[in-house]
Amino acid sequence: MSLRCWLLFFGVIVAASHAPAMRVVSLAPSVTETLFALGAGDEVVGVSTYCDYPPEAAKITGVGSFLTPNIEQIITLKPDVIIGVPTPGNEEPVKTLQSLGFKIVIVPADTVEQTRTSIEMIAHALAREADGRRLIEQFDTRLAAVQQRLRGAPLRRVLMVVGQKPLVAVGSGTFQDELIRMAGGINVAGATRLAWPHLNLETVIAWAPQVIIDTSMGTEENTQVLEFWKQFPSLPAVREQHLYAYRTYELLRPGPRIPEALEMIARAVHPERYEELGH
Amino acid sequence: MPYLTRRRFVRVNALLAAGLLATLCGAALIGPVHVDLMRALQRTGGPSPDFVILFDTRLPRVLLGAVVGGALAVAGAALQGLLRNPLADPHILGISGGAALGGIVAIILAGQQPLAAFSAGPVGSFLGALGATFLIYRLALVHGRLQPYTLLLTGVVVNAFAGALIMFINSLADFYQAHGILFWLMGSLATQSYRLVGTITVYALAAAACLLWQARHMNVLSLGEEAALQLGVEVERTRRIIFFTSSLLVGAVVSVSGMIGFVGLIVPHVLRLTLGADHRLLLPASFLAGGMFLVWADTLARTLLGATEIPVGVVTALCGAPFFIYLLTRAAGKAFD
Repeated sequence: MSLRCWLLFFGVIVAASHAPAMRVVSLAPSVTETLFALGAGDEVVGVSTYCDYPPEAAKITGVGSFLTPNIEQIITLKPDVIIGVPTPGNEEPVKTLQSLGFKIVIVPADTVEQTRTSIEMIAHALAREADGRRLIEQFDTRLAAVQQRLRGAPLRRVLMVVGQKPLVAVGSGTFQDELIRMAGGINVAGATRLAWPHLNLETVIAWAPQVIIDTSMGTEENTQVLEFWKQFPSLPAVREQHLYAYRTYELLRPGPRIPEALEMIARAVHPERYEELGH
Repeated sequence: MPYLTRRRFVRVNALLAAGLLATLCGAALIGPVHVDLMRALQRTGGPSPDFVILFDTRLPRVLLGAVVGGALAVAGAALQGLLRNPLADPHILGISGGAALGGIVAIILAGQQPLAAFSAGPVGSFLGALGATFLIYRLALVHGRLQPYTLLLTGVVVNAFAGALIMFINSLADFYQAHGILFWLMGSLATQSYRLVGTITVYALAAAACLLWQARHMNVLSLGEEAALQLGVEVERTRRIIFFTSSLLVGAVVSVSGMIGFVGLIVPHVLRLTLGADHRLLLPASFLAGGMFLVWADTLARTLLGATEIPVGVVTALCGAPFFIYLLTRAAGKAFD
């Protein structure tokens, strides 16, 4: 065969080996982040109105909120696959879309392990298994790196708070609780066995947490929100100045940024492990 | 009911005041965490956790509960007199709806600047209450007069409208804001600074005194508008004073503690049944008894589940609903005179 024929032949093979461009609709911020992390950002045609990371995601057509997807909008976008997480509000819309013949993938999102599984599932849905494996490897490596750094560190009592008025904390059964435990902390509010307990201030004082992570403002790190805690100098966290205010959307999303969230928490719970190496 | 003598006035109020004092002390000692008073008072090497819990978290809360309960009860009693309707409670006129809406809008707008967010809530809430008060006043004026019937209906509609806006905002809110919205709708007496408690106490006492000043006129007003006019009461002026004073009082209270229902409904009615409908006695008694009731409700709210709390509005509503049914079966009109 002539050179041109061989080039044409190889060109076709190469073109065919890339995954065909798909139209994907994401119903949750964590799914959107995963899609972009897999390199499939261009294939995303619809996102939920809360999807803001990476910044490009915010510009994509919104298809309703996290809890209530807009069916008509989704149909207009003619997606090849719709990916979401289980939420109380989207069961009905999901069933409707399924009955209309759309391919829907619902990925679990309650624990760190489930997040890994969800990355695999999303990669599979997009026929990007290689990218998925790469992402999971990075995910595992970064998680392992944090845990390696914390090896042998003493357990500390941690309180993570998502609201001050009312005082709502991270309880047991959430993946934030899991992250706290992975970061070498004891979640004091886990004893309530509720996911988002409304705490009584005096119980907090009795629990005497050594580290308080306040995420109630949901914005960049600031100290104003910590003034609330400084009223109670008897708390070990206040006495020893282990009060942290953190921007939190990474902490709320069971997606590829979990290792970063873990590192944030680890830095708060065991700052001495991060100081030694001058970071 | 016997004629109100000074002796009776003093006796009833002294009894209720003593009850309130006992309630304050008792409630401060009750809580999910066991606190030893002796240990708390020993200040060896800095305050012990017992001291902090007792004086920094429980006592301000108990005092706030007493003031808020008293304010809501006295406002409820006054509004029942003004509207001549036994179902009236402080939240019926939509002032609290406006206050809650103002507070919610304020925390959402100020949300990204924490500095503003802390004071924005109460300030926005009070502005919302003021806005609602004037809106209702303007809408309810019929030929320059404030008719109870029109006032009630206007208030209910404004309340419903504010409620709808709140639900709308709630549907758009994100995870963090949704918790904050709950504070306004369910009420909370969670620990605030002594300064705030002091300010609201002064404010509430001043408003209660103002209402007490009109107590005699309220008595006459209950005979009907024509009769009151013939007896020389300036009906419109009285109505205006009661309306504005109660509204501002409720607005201030809601800005600080959210919407706590049923206190303003139950307490005045129970007292009317036992003490009679003379407002000169009813108003101060409502204040004291309302304080007691809310402090006990709050004690239940913060102790029942151990580490977590039930919103105090839930406890008052759970007590209030059965009472309400009792009221209805007992022919409300009879209890009202």
